[in-house]
Amino acid sequence: MEETIIKLDNLTHLYRDNNDKEFPALDSVNLEIKKGEFVAIIGANGSGKSTLARHLNALLKPAKGTCLVAGMDTSDEKNLWNIRQTVGMVFQNPDNQIVAAVVEEDVAFGPENIGVPTEEIRPRVEAALKTVGMLDYAKHAPHLLSGGQKQRVAIAGTIVLEPACIVLDEPTAMLDPKGRKEIVSTISKLNKEKNITVIYITHYMTEALAADRVIVMNKGKIAFDGTPKEVFSHAKELKEFGLEAPLAAEVASELIAAGMKLDKEIITDEELVEALCPSN
Amino acid sequence: MSIKLENISYTYMQGTPFERNALDDVSVTIEKGEFVAIIGHTGSGKSTLVQHLNGLLKPSTGKAFINDVDLDGKGDEVKKAKHSVGMVFQYPEHQIFAETVYEDIAFGPRNKGFSEEEVEKLVKDAMSFVHLDYEEFAQKSPFNLSGGQMRRVAIAGVVAMAPDYLVLDEPSAGLDPMARDVIFEEIINLYKKRDIGVVLVTHSMEEAVRYANRLLVVSDGKIILDDAPKEIFKNHSQKLLDVSMDIPQVFKLAESLRQKGLTLSEDIIDAKSLVAEIKKQRGIK
Ligand SMILES: Nc1ncnc2c1ncn2[C@@H]1O[C@H](COP(=O)(O)OP(=O)(O)O)[C@@H](O)[C@H]1O
Ligand SMILES: Nc1ncnc2c1ncn2[C@@H]1O[C@H](COP(=O)(O)OP(=O)(O)O)[C@@H](O)[C@H]1O
Ligand SMILES: [Mg+2]
Ligand SMILES: [Mg+2]
Repeated sequence: MEETIIKLDNLTHLYRDNNDKEFPALDSVNLEIKKGEFVAIIGANGSGKSTLARHLNALLKPAKGTCLVAGMDTSDEKNLWNIRQTVGMVFQNPDNQIVAAVVEEDVAFGPENIGVPTEEIRPRVEAALKTVGMLDYAKHAPHLLSGGQKQRVAIAGTIVLEPACIVLDEPTAMLDPKGRKEIVSTISKLNKEKNITVIYITHYMTEALAADRVIVMNKGKIAFDGTPKEVFSHAKELKEFGLEAPLAAEVASELIAAGMKLDKEIITDEELVEALCPSN
Repeated sequence: MSIKLENISYTYMQGTPFERNALDDVSVTIEKGEFVAIIGHTGSGKSTLVQHLNGLLKPSTGKAFINDVDLDGKGDEVKKAKHSVGMVFQYPEHQIFAETVYEDIAFGPRNKGFSEEEVEKLVKDAMSFVHLDYEEFAQKSPFNLSGGQMRRVAIAGVVAMAPDYLVLDEPSAGLDPMARDVIFEEIINLYKKRDIGVVLVTHSMEEAVRYANRLLVVSDGKIILDDAPKEIFKNHSQKLLDVSMDIPQVFKLAESLRQKGLTLSEDIIDAKSLVAEIKKQRGIK
């Protein structure tokens, strides 16, 4: 884990507000992500998460500062093609991302588009569908799938292009509990088994627990950056950023406030259970 | 006062190759004063179901009544009955249409024939209800607002109509934890102050147990469970998993603690009640 895949230097993004005044949706952000990391990004609505995500595959260009993807500058038009191959995106609404009438055709759409030789496409599509656990549905119509299944097809449509990094912008926001679990386990698997760098935006704090690193955005800046333990043990500050801690961390912090002696870094159910009822 | 659905089935695109049965012989009565949560897998029929509560969809078979008025009829009485149900849709941006926040919220009351003066008062009241500052937001374009603010405009538009029933289809999807809490504070406020009936479609088990006094579980176009949320989460965890649902995290945590020998009351429904129980156990005030 040494190679840098994403490097932001003083990245600023300006939008115009309702009164046509410019404001920074990203404000001098510095960030370095290494190849193979699983990074969760959390933050209140409007804190700049999606704007950040869009810079990572050059859908947006920096107003100030630089954004390097595998060493390629996103503000250089020449790099666009290679950057889009390096960083794949998955968005919130599964229904807007599926274009074809059959699952396998949908996944084949990307490779066909970039001119992958025909004989290579089929095995790649099959491998991608297998990775997300949707091979059995290769011949199905996407609109008959559940939300979680559609989102996994969208992920297959991204990884079939063999990106080094995949950015998911609230992929579980519209899913039911089972769909959410399917996505989190699919993503963890991609990261562990294929060493794909994962950047995962979510409002579900428990999902962020699966990451190696959690970044908290607040008003266009990075407010916290650390392991889940380092970030989620700050229950009080998280509230100020419009967020919350996972249940176990919240319970632990209130018990500590009430005078119980507990480890401040408890963030998972297992840790809390072990702390309250030690098994010998 | 109640909304009553009797043996309702609904088929989309009937008679075409794309025909799809979304509801299958559903019967349910929702009383004014109830707070009902509806959960179910994507595509289970939740949105289709709630669109029958204000006559937006006409059942393929079966009957719908609001306060005993048959929605199949015509005339002022039916119109009035339908207007007593306020609906906040899954995608608020589809519901919002006017150039300014003011105009958007004023649409309903104006349609009801209120004078401009009365309309202004209703808009102001509705905006203060959802914590949208009148000076700051009234003249803004609703399309430039954040998802959470847009949803508040949609709720304000419904509140301004003083409905007897409020139906919300996944109002918290995509909202950050704080925006979510603010919206529910508003809804609970409305529920208590005006004694309305609330129907909440959600993918959050936490919301269902925290806010509702009754829970309907929908699967494949049928209501398969109908009881107090606590009872359903306590007694049907396997069944819920089978239909892509879950139980609230705090139920799992409490259960793990019980299995390790901690005696905890059955009434734990959130972090607060769990903390209180553990403190009681350990003799902490
Ligand atoms: N196209 C746009 N034009 C103007 N302002 C925008 C646009 N997109 C986003 N914004 C604003 O930029 C800020 C950051 O937005 P965004 O990155 O979407 O936040 P998040 O994804 O964290 O909710 C917000 O204040 C939002 O209103
Ligand atoms: N406008 C429509 N045309 C055709 N089929 C639809 C339409 N809306 C919903 N459906 C189908 O009806 C079923 C129930 O949908 P819906 O009520 O939206 O479920 P939920 O809200 O629980 O996700 C699904 O199979 C869905 O695909
Ligand atoms: Mg966003
Ligand atoms: Mg729906």
